[in-house]
Amino acid sequence: MEPNLERLVPACVREFEPYIPSKPDHELRKLYGCDRLYRLNNNENPLGPPPGAQEVIRRFPPPLGAVYPSGDSYDLRGEIAAFHGIHPDQVLVGNGANEVISFVIKAFCEPGDNIITADRTFAVYEWVAVFSGIEARVVPLKEERFDGPAMLGRIDDATKVIFLCNPNNPTGTYWSRDTLVAFLEAVGGRQIVVVDEAYFEFVEAGDYPDGVSLIGAYPNVVAFRTFSKMYGIAGLRIGYLAGDRNVVDMIRRTCVVYSVNGIAQAAALACLRDDTGHIARTRELMRQSRAFLREELGRMGLPVICGEGNFLIVKLPGSDTLAYRKLMHEGVMIRPMTGFRYPNHIRVTLAGMEAMEAFIRALKKILA
Amino acid sequence: MNAANRDPDAVLAMQLEARPSFLGVVTGFVDSAARAFGMGREETLKIGLAAEEIFSFACERICPGKPVDIRCRDGKYFMGVAFRFPVSALDMGALNITASARCDREEDLEETGLILASRSVDRLRIDPDGRDRVRLSVEKDKSYPPAPEESPAPAAFRGTVAAATPDGEALKRYVIQASHLSPGPFLPDFFRYPGKVVDMAAAGDVQAIVAADETGRVAGGILFRFLTERVVEILGPHVFDPPATEKVAAGLLDACIARTARTKAIGLVSLTGLPGPVRSQFESLGALTLFEKGGRASERPAWYRLLHEDPGCVVWTDGALGEFLQGEYGRLFLAREIREVRDLGETRSGSSIFSAEVHRERSEAVLRPLWPGGDLAANLERHVRFLGEEGFLNLLFELDLGVSWHASLVPVLLGRGFRPGMILPFAGQADLVVFQYHGTEP
Repeated sequence: MEPNLERLVPACVREFEPYIPSKPDHELRKLYGCDRLYRLNNNENPLGPPPGAQEVIRRFPPPLGAVYPSGDSYDLRGEIAAFHGIHPDQVLVGNGANEVISFVIKAFCEPGDNIITADRTFAVYEWVAVFSGIEARVVPLKEERFDGPAMLGRIDDATKVIFLCNPNNPTGTYWSRDTLVAFLEAVGGRQIVVVDEAYFEFVEAGDYPDGVSLIGAYPNVVAFRTFSKMYGIAGLRIGYLAGDRNVVDMIRRTCVVYSVNGIAQAAALACLRDDTGHIARTRELMRQSRAFLREELGRMGLPVICGEGNFLIVKLPGSDTLAYRKLMHEGVMIRPMTGFRYPNHIRVTLAGMEAMEAFIRALKKILA
Repeated sequence: MNAANRDPDAVLAMQLEARPSFLGVVTGFVDSAARAFGMGREETLKIGLAAEEIFSFACERICPGKPVDIRCRDGKYFMGVAFRFPVSALDMGALNITASARCDREEDLEETGLILASRSVDRLRIDPDGRDRVRLSVEKDKSYPPAPEESPAPAAFRGTVAAATPDGEALKRYVIQASHLSPGPFLPDFFRYPGKVVDMAAAGDVQAIVAADETGRVAGGILFRFLTERVVEILGPHVFDPPATEKVAAGLLDACIARTARTKAIGLVSLTGLPGPVRSQFESLGALTLFEKGGRASERPAWYRLLHEDPGCVVWTDGALGEFLQGEYGRLFLAREIREVRDLGETRSGSSIFSAEVHRERSEAVLRPLWPGGDLAANLERHVRFLGEEGFLNLLFELDLGVSWHASLVPVLLGRGFRPGMILPFAGQADLVVFQYHGTEP
């Protein structure tokens, strides 16, 4: 007898379309008939992890594969806390920053509540809310930036969490410290304000705020960081949140322990301890590839939205999803932006010059 | 658009055994439901007749003495009656719309069962319902007054034009203007009935975005609805100020994409025409031919755009369709692994079933394979002849390239005057190929 899924599964789950991640590279190469694939779709760091983290991964003792890792990433929390000058109990580590999004929504929201975020930003805040039966209020960006006044205008008694992505993925725009502080003042502690700083380490602007440093003055702030982008261990899935001790104590109740594996914890520790200039090297590469792409795309007459972070977005004269398929046939994988509500735009990860040149060659070919 | 947007439908349900003595119970139930749902007298009679024919047919041919679930649903602008039957391989063939039509033209046609039911309703379809059950649904639309015939005065728009969800009045104004703007054969019949579109939107079966200027004057609009599980059909964008077509159409399309980009939809399709300025955002899927009474025929182009990365998939086909598929997939840059299905002499037995969805307003019947069998060619022959005799000018047959046994219908279709018209990406378990019958081409 087949289960009655209509009855068993909540409507918010039934109606949700599962995200289908890209197939593995070998499958994609076969499907699209290309010999090699430049991955410019996920904002990965082409330099990989810092040398110390690479060594940790290389030397991880195989017998430890049989041993459970620290259930709450004990050592790593201590190191992160020391890094930020906060208490270890103010830190929760998750299986990628995506997992800590779930922790926060589960901790603060129940059906009938709502979260507020932007329409053109990282989709996972909206997804987790929607399939959890929580209303996601998406506020249009204004001039490619989070629109603070409009977001404040959508707050009501059922609003529990506001998600800011700073800098924003995919526009690369950011709120300055003054803008963020003014927003937090206006919220007045009535809602949790998540400041997702996945691309924090890429930002070189002087007025860019450190969300973790605001927790003392604004205990409703929860900051997200990840080791997937700048630190190049996306394959190990590890990220964390930091917040006020009482707030984190609540979030901890929805946190699944043992979800972060041992290699990830050890590699993340090594990332924090890097003293080889990994961040500076990566930033230099980003500057070089950003300048190259801006110049080439400008010559092609294609508008570019380029801010902070290791990516930029390009407006095309036609469908972005068609461009994705054509570029795949050329061995270049980018991110079409329709799913981010930017139809006819593509997001390109800033990478090494070989990949950037391959992208420009392929783009010229498909637009010819 | 989705359950969250829909008001709960009013549903009345009953279960009884398929016995002729219960026929009066069924007709009384459907009649009472129709009145409770506000159906007009004529519509009540017609859907009652359909229900009577279907239940009689169930008693006689489909599942005599077996339990039957009947659900009457108020869809706001229509009433639906769904019958759910247990079926076995032995009586499968009876579920074809042609099951009671004799193939021999020399003899009188037995006009019973599903034939009569199909004639008195607006839509009829058959779907599998679990492993051993079939759902046969009929829908009859409510009557609405037509849109006024006078053309609206030319608009002079002021200031900024913004796209937003319209209220009922703005929606009606948009529909009236759209019906005058493009009254051609491609526009669905419901554009002639603005009140019906308001009810369709209220039922969640269609969404609307209207562009209005600062004074509230309607500058254009777009309707969209799920055509299949993962494909959204757009109707429009329609723009009523020709000089502003590019800007308003692009704004409406952007708003539509913003609404659909994070839903279950994987693609948008336009079957009713696109304004030139937004065509660059779409890909041409080709064209079907719309045959009309009087021998007229017009091209019916289809446009498509994916909303996400193409995940690629495996498609199954007969070798006879290989060239068409390779050509189309190459043209559309869709990554597909084409696997050929070969007849290696395995035994096929039993009666096949084709689902028939009829749209009388555009003289169209869409056939879909529901169940394999050893009589595919004979069954197709019956359907072509029957639907031709019923006056349907447009016969379409959809094959799902994600279902391997559908491939065995390719040579059957090609041998009976059907030609592949277009591919609808991801409209089934994989892509659909839409075949069109050209046997009645003038």
